[in-house]
Amino acid sequence: MPGDLSLPGIDVGATFGAEHVAKAKRYERFLYADWALAQVALLVTLVLYSRRGAAFMRESAAGPIGTGMFLGMLGLGIVWLVLLPFRIAAHWWDRRHDLSQLDYLSWLVDDWLVLAAEFLSICLALLVVMGLARWLGERWWLPGAAVFVGIAALFTFAVPYLDFTTKPLRDQTLLVAATRYERELGLPDIPIRVEKVSGQQKLANAYAYGIGPSRRVVLWDTILQDPFGPAEQKAVLAHELAHHSQRHLPKGVAWFALFAVPSAWILMRATRRRGGMGAPEAVPLALLVVTVLQLALTPAGNLVSRRMEAEADWKALEVTRDPDALEELMVGLSNTSLGDPSPPLWTQLLLGTHPTLADRVAMAHAWAEASR
Amino acid sequence: MQRSVRVVVRDPGLGQSRLTVFFRALLALPHLVWLVLWSVPATIAAWAGWLATLVLGRLPEPLHRFLAAYLRYDVHVFAYLFLAARRFPGFLGRPGYEVDLEIDPPAEQRRLGVLFRQLLASPAALLAIVIGSGLVWFALLAWWSALARGRRPAGIRDFTAYGLGYSAQHGAYTMLLTSRYPHAGPQLTLPSFELPPHPVRLRMTDDLRRSRLTVFFRLLLALPHLVWLWLWSIAALVAVVVAWLVALALGSVPQTLHRFLAAYTRYAAHVTAFVMVVGGPFPAFGGGARAYPVDLEIDQAAPQRRLVTLFRLFLAVPALILGYPLALALVLVAVGGWLYALVLGRVPEGLRDLGAAIVRYQAQTNAYLLLVTDRYPYSSPALATRASSEEPAPSLAVATS
Repeated sequence: MPGDLSLPGIDVGATFGAEHVAKAKRYERFLYADWALAQVALLVTLVLYSRRGAAFMRESAAGPIGTGMFLGMLGLGIVWLVLLPFRIAAHWWDRRHDLSQLDYLSWLVDDWLVLAAEFLSICLALLVVMGLARWLGERWWLPGAAVFVGIAALFTFAVPYLDFTTKPLRDQTLLVAATRYERELGLPDIPIRVEKVSGQQKLANAYAYGIGPSRRVVLWDTILQDPFGPAEQKAVLAHELAHHSQRHLPKGVAWFALFAVPSAWILMRATRRRGGMGAPEAVPLALLVVTVLQLALTPAGNLVSRRMEAEADWKALEVTRDPDALEELMVGLSNTSLGDPSPPLWTQLLLGTHPTLADRVAMAHAWAEASR
Repeated sequence: MQRSVRVVVRDPGLGQSRLTVFFRALLALPHLVWLVLWSVPATIAAWAGWLATLVLGRLPEPLHRFLAAYLRYDVHVFAYLFLAARRFPGFLGRPGYEVDLEIDPPAEQRRLGVLFRQLLASPAALLAIVIGSGLVWFALLAWWSALARGRRPAGIRDFTAYGLGYSAQHGAYTMLLTSRYPHAGPQLTLPSFELPPHPVRLRMTDDLRRSRLTVFFRLLLALPHLVWLWLWSIAALVAVVVAWLVALALGSVPQTLHRFLAAYTRYAAHVTAFVMVVGGPFPAFGGGARAYPVDLEIDQAAPQRRLVTLFRLFLAVPALILGYPLALALVLVAVGGWLYALVLGRVPEGLRDLGAAIVRYQAQTNAYLLLVTDRYPYSSPALATRASSEEPAPSLAVATS
């Protein structure tokens, strides 16, 4: 993507439809308010838990690390309970706008399963951190960060091999297009798979994951249906393959490493007064510190992500040579997800992992202009 | 504590005539038919009793007598059918049978409790159904054992008496013979029943208190333990194969292996107690002794009989069969304890004790399978251990609520 690329202005109302844009803004305004309130509730809860959470140590008969795991899980459990009304409100809003067909019970079960995965993850994280802290004292943060980067890399590499829910893409037109894009992007044969989400929601999406031999592209089956035609589907395919050609996933791990090292050091410093990360008493405070760090680093992380997405869009335009398809894809995505094409700046900074839909359409126009 | 409904086991002997054991189900047939016929007027009497108690505040004496006789007869019939009793019972439900039921005279009852009695009794009904279904399994094993050895296993007899006692409590409560809620605790229901000395014993220091928050997230909090237990069980499987070969050759399991397998057994008991809300705090990961309020005392390694070691897996089958209905009861204990603790911040003593007795039985079964001991698991729901002698106490007065 040219470094000096300046995006032309576009008429959002004319491109996406003025009535639709107004509706999308109304829809997203509620979610922004819900999210903001949830963050306040999250922080208040964690502040209280960081002060009182250590009292739950009497409910554990385990050793220091086991008790630390217990306090970590309990903290996540309390947060889950506190945030439940906000998530229910968001789900209710999605159902009201016909974006989700999941009934409340199934949604709750799914949410519970996610919480179970989070419980196991925090146990693993605390096992690493507390184990190292009890062994190395305050010097744990550097090897600790290294272990987490290693886990992130391993996770990124291994997750595609643990996927038993997707099926290979059967559409011959798309497969032929994928082969051409792979050749032009300098990629080997990347498996293209389809994930069935229709019946649960109407959102359309696709993603690239894996590193090296585990690289995959997954298309949600909703993107293979109306209103998306073959040209838009090819644009999605090219975009996801571009993530692989630009090595965005290993770069993501590298960015994580860049954030993880200072974060681990801050965590070490912040928990010092509670006896350091080797002591279970420090775990409630550590939860607060990690959450604050995550919130603080989210804008920076999103900036990196938006840059990568823009790069993938540009590469996709280069191989599809079809800016109209990218524009139609963005209009389609906005229609199916009720996405606001030009959201407020603060939400884009805090929540925007992709460029705005309007900016992506503008990029298609810019590419068309540049290629003339 | 004196309960208003009591099972009295008058014949402590375990011997049975093989012939009557062989035909037991058929011999009990006329009783079962008679019980079904009797249940028709008993149901009508129970409804009449409900209306009368709502109006008068106590069950009228004639109805109390009639329903008590019916319930007593029910206990006689099933004690005979399930081999807890030896002699053919009478048809009138008269007192004096070897496994008998004593019920206090009618007393004042609160009308609100009477009005919603069936609804209030439904949780106890669930447990009574599960325990009652479990008694069928116990009876089948008792049948085989009595046919082979001419006597019933004491543990199975104790559990059958306990199960009949609990069902009788439930029946008495729903028929308004008592206003006391059924109590699931084995040590209260069977104060005279004691466990024989065993190398794997329960040690309980739990105070019934539960943190509502940790109860709410109990299953999820147990996840790391379940993962760790699964990993540990792989190592335990390898260790037990080695222990089996060594025990076959030397006649005992080496101390190191014994310690490892005993710690695994103890840890599995801690985790089960935690998951099933029988224990309160989050357990330690090491399975150490005295590390949990629902703990196991496990004796040092002792010589084991080679023949028992050789056929250990096959010999454990009956214990595993009994473990199935007990596991179902434990799940019910967990659900009941979970709901109760969420509301009141403590678990009911009766449910906790029944759960603890099942955890102890499962731990003894594990210990037997894992060659920690060659003593067979003892299925009685009792919690207290007798100082010596394996024979049951001579007189077994059983108090049930």
